[in-house]
Amino acid sequence: MKAGFSKTWKALLSWPKPPGERYAACEFCDTLHEAGTLEEGAAASCLRCGTVLYQNRVASLTRASACSLAALILMALAHVFPFLTMDAATLRKSLTLLGAAVALIDEGAPILGITIVLFTIVSPFVLAGGMLYVSLPLMFGRLLPGSFTIAKWMHLSEPWNMVEVFLLGVLVSLLKLGQVADVTFGIGFWAFAGLMLCMAFAVAGIDREELWDRMEVARR
Amino acid sequence: MSGRFEKAADRGLAGCHVCGRVAELALKICPRCTSRLELRKPNSIQNTVALMAAAAALYIPSHILPIMTVVEIGVVTPNTIISGMMTFWRTGAYPIAIVIFTASILIPILKIAALSWLCAAAAGWIHPSPTALGRLHGITELLGRWSMIDIFVVGILVSLVQLGNYMSITPGPGALAFAGVVMLTMFAAMSFDPRLLWDRLDEMAKDPPTSKDQSP
Repeated sequence: MKAGFSKTWKALLSWPKPPGERYAACEFCDTLHEAGTLEEGAAASCLRCGTVLYQNRVASLTRASACSLAALILMALAHVFPFLTMDAATLRKSLTLLGAAVALIDEGAPILGITIVLFTIVSPFVLAGGMLYVSLPLMFGRLLPGSFTIAKWMHLSEPWNMVEVFLLGVLVSLLKLGQVADVTFGIGFWAFAGLMLCMAFAVAGIDREELWDRMEVARR
Repeated sequence: MSGRFEKAADRGLAGCHVCGRVAELALKICPRCTSRLELRKPNSIQNTVALMAAAAALYIPSHILPIMTVVEIGVVTPNTIISGMMTFWRTGAYPIAIVIFTASILIPILKIAALSWLCAAAAGWIHPSPTALGRLHGITELLGRWSMIDIFVVGILVSLVQLGNYMSITPGPGALAFAGVVMLTMFAAMSFDPRLLWDRLDEMAKDPPTSKDQSP
């Protein structure tokens, strides 16, 4: 009980370094640096090319968990409520994320439909869900099973998260349709805009190096 | 210039491409996340050039073939990316026309040009400053995703505009080609290894090129 408490307490403190000699190699020019500890809010840059090596974010785990939880809630809202509602003549049509993908599959473009599902549904879900699954238990110095695999999947899906691009797409469509019909924004659109912000905060909230270091320490 | 800095590779160390942990290359897999350790991305230049060539080949049909077909009261109008942009321009929606022009026409071309430049530098044909090239690489990775906007617009319009006989929109083959362009350029940018640029620079510092292949 007491040991568990001290473990919890330690996890809430700043970035722990796993034992052993640590280096950081610049991803861009491969220059080797000794990886020292940083104060909260500071960043380490490569001496040769200036690329940021790693940074110690303020309240990183708290921010990452809170923002990814908010992102998941907004994601649920964005799936339930329509993005746009269009009134043309006597017909009313609503747009949802899944609806756009299903329409493409129905109209003979299955690959495009799957692409939309991957970039706007699967990838953000892996990122936000994975971040919550990994970082919330880490606040108490614990690791849930499969965290390492999930963290790898998060790294893989990061470049394919296109929430903000889809939002701009919605705006362009709105202008295109504005000439032929009455189009109004729905709750889904605003939820998705919030999702975009929360995802950005969650991903920027914790440095990759810190997340993996904390996972390594918690595994012991 | 390279004397002051030691590379991870010089000590037989490699940074894991997934978790960033620096480990001995001899371990073969990362001790932290069990991903495969590589000194450099394998066949980086070949892969980048191949993916880029495929993207360039798809770029032409993606702009010639219609990305969607609008059927309005029996009248069939095929729409290409360029004709959609022109419609916005003609109706006075200049900012949107510029956004579409940048995202769909300019960015793919600039990305292919930038990656060719990077590959040429990594192969040692040209010798520009790696820092400037690095900035270029960062920008290409950042901008590429925005080209997907037209694909999303097609998805949204196809889903909304299904008004029976009055008006309907179906996706065209151009959209598939264009999605191919965007994804191939993204994969090409990912398979390029910027560390090769610095390797080339250090190699030249150690062994200066002869006057024959030196760039002016």
